Amino acid sequence: MSPSEQTTVTSQDSADSESTTHFGYQTVEKNEKESKVASVFHSVAQQYDVMNDLMSFGIHRLWKRFTIDASGVRPGNKVLDLAGGTGDLTAKFSKLVGREGKVILADINSSMLNVGRDKLRDKGLVQNIEYVQANAQYLPFEDNTFDIITIAFGLRNVTDKDMALRSMYRVLKPGGRLLVLEFSKPEHEIINKIYDFYSFNILPKMGDLVAKDGESYQYLAESIRMHPDQETLKSMMNDAGFEQISYKNLTDGVVALHKGYKF
Amino acid sequence: MSQIMHQQALCSVLEKILNKALSLNINGTQGLAVLEQKTLTIYLAELNFPLSFSINQQAILVTTLTERSDCQLKSSIASLVELQKEQQLTELIKQDKLDISGDIKVVQQFAAVFENLSIDWQSELAEHIGDIPTYKLSQLASWLNNKIKFATEQIQADASEWLVHEKRLVVTHSQIAAFNQQVTDIADEVVNIEQRMANLMTKIISTTHDESH
Repeated sequence: MSPSEQTTVTSQDSADSESTTHFGYQTVEKNEKESKVASVFHSVAQQYDVMNDLMSFGIHRLWKRFTIDASGVRPGNKVLDLAGGTGDLTAKFSKLVGREGKVILADINSSMLNVGRDKLRDKGLVQNIEYVQANAQYLPFEDNTFDIITIAFGLRNVTDKDMALRSMYRVLKPGGRLLVLEFSKPEHEIINKIYDFYSFNILPKMGDLVAKDGESYQYLAESIRMHPDQETLKSMMNDAGFEQISYKNLTDGVVALHKGYKF
Repeated sequence: MSQIMHQQALCSVLEKILNKALSLNINGTQGLAVLEQKTLTIYLAELNFPLSFSINQQAILVTTLTERSDCQLKSSIASLVELQKEQQLTELIKQDKLDISGDIKVVQQFAAVFENLSIDWQSELAEHIGDIPTYKLSQLASWLNNKIKFATEQIQADASEWLVHEKRLVVTHSQIAAFNQQVTDIADEVVNIEQRMANLMTKIISTTHDESH
């Protein structure tokens, strides 16, 4: 399927049947996706930060900074950085919640978690951070535990997104908020075309050259196109129980930050 | 780039500059200890968003978060520059150029941190370009500094000389206008006198002519 033939999926997408789901443009068995995504992230973990900087020209740092600012985090808050990968958000949250607060860096992928843990320890961030290997669909925390949950560039890799959103809702405290930072649909067609060209022609080559893994970055580009657009994700959050849901497009909608509350 | 991205870029650059400056401070970062977990929020008239400066583990975090602020300061860049003179604080508040709410000690402690900031630029530069180029550059910088200082002093001296003495000697527009008016008046008078003289001459000639007959 060529990029131009892609249409943004909705939660009712036909490929998302009971037993199958998307892995990039492929339709795979649900139990197969987890291991395929895992192998992608085992492969890219060591070069993840370098590639993020290269691919986004460093702009991913600004997107993440905005996520922190939009979270309204306070000292003493308990934060779950889900699919936290190499810990960019955790590092900032850790400083802002202070000693009375706590940040849990959770990721399903052990390689990513290890890279994140090493990076944060090297920065001297040890006091208020815990590391948990967890599947977003089955969060191993008690109900009403967190003030804030963030998931940055992780939701599109989750096999059952609706289930994951419900799980996040369960572990959020009443008054708590979920922030989903994820690639989305550009607002203007011209940006969409440029973005398509970049994603499918330049990005995999970059991945091949720097991380020696073009295939994983091909998956990245495909998974972005298969991810729900802004409005669809908003309605998915609504279905999971979140309230006062809003989203902000960043960089013309290449990325969107969704925010929803649990009351 | 959208406004959000501009805001975040500014926060990011400020954070990097401030932390770099603090890490190079030869007086150390002890001053930050009293500010641990404290936040100062500045609302600048020139920016349409707040800037919050939080201290954590001897480092500064710059965000647009206002949820955890210990002290809020509303001002403009020009007023903040004026604030460097201590006696200006009350004056600026009186003039409504500065508005502080919350724990004023936090502002004072932040100000103290930056007053104590002292960076040994020569040592830092020498690490990157070597001792001899640093020495040469320092000499050049010192020479340039002296030249600029001398030029500034000279310009200031010349300016005051001109303002105090020469400016008074320069003819003003109103003086020129008055002078022009006077010249016009004199010219008119000359024309009148010429006219009267011509009339008199005519009368004298006609009288002389009558007498001869």
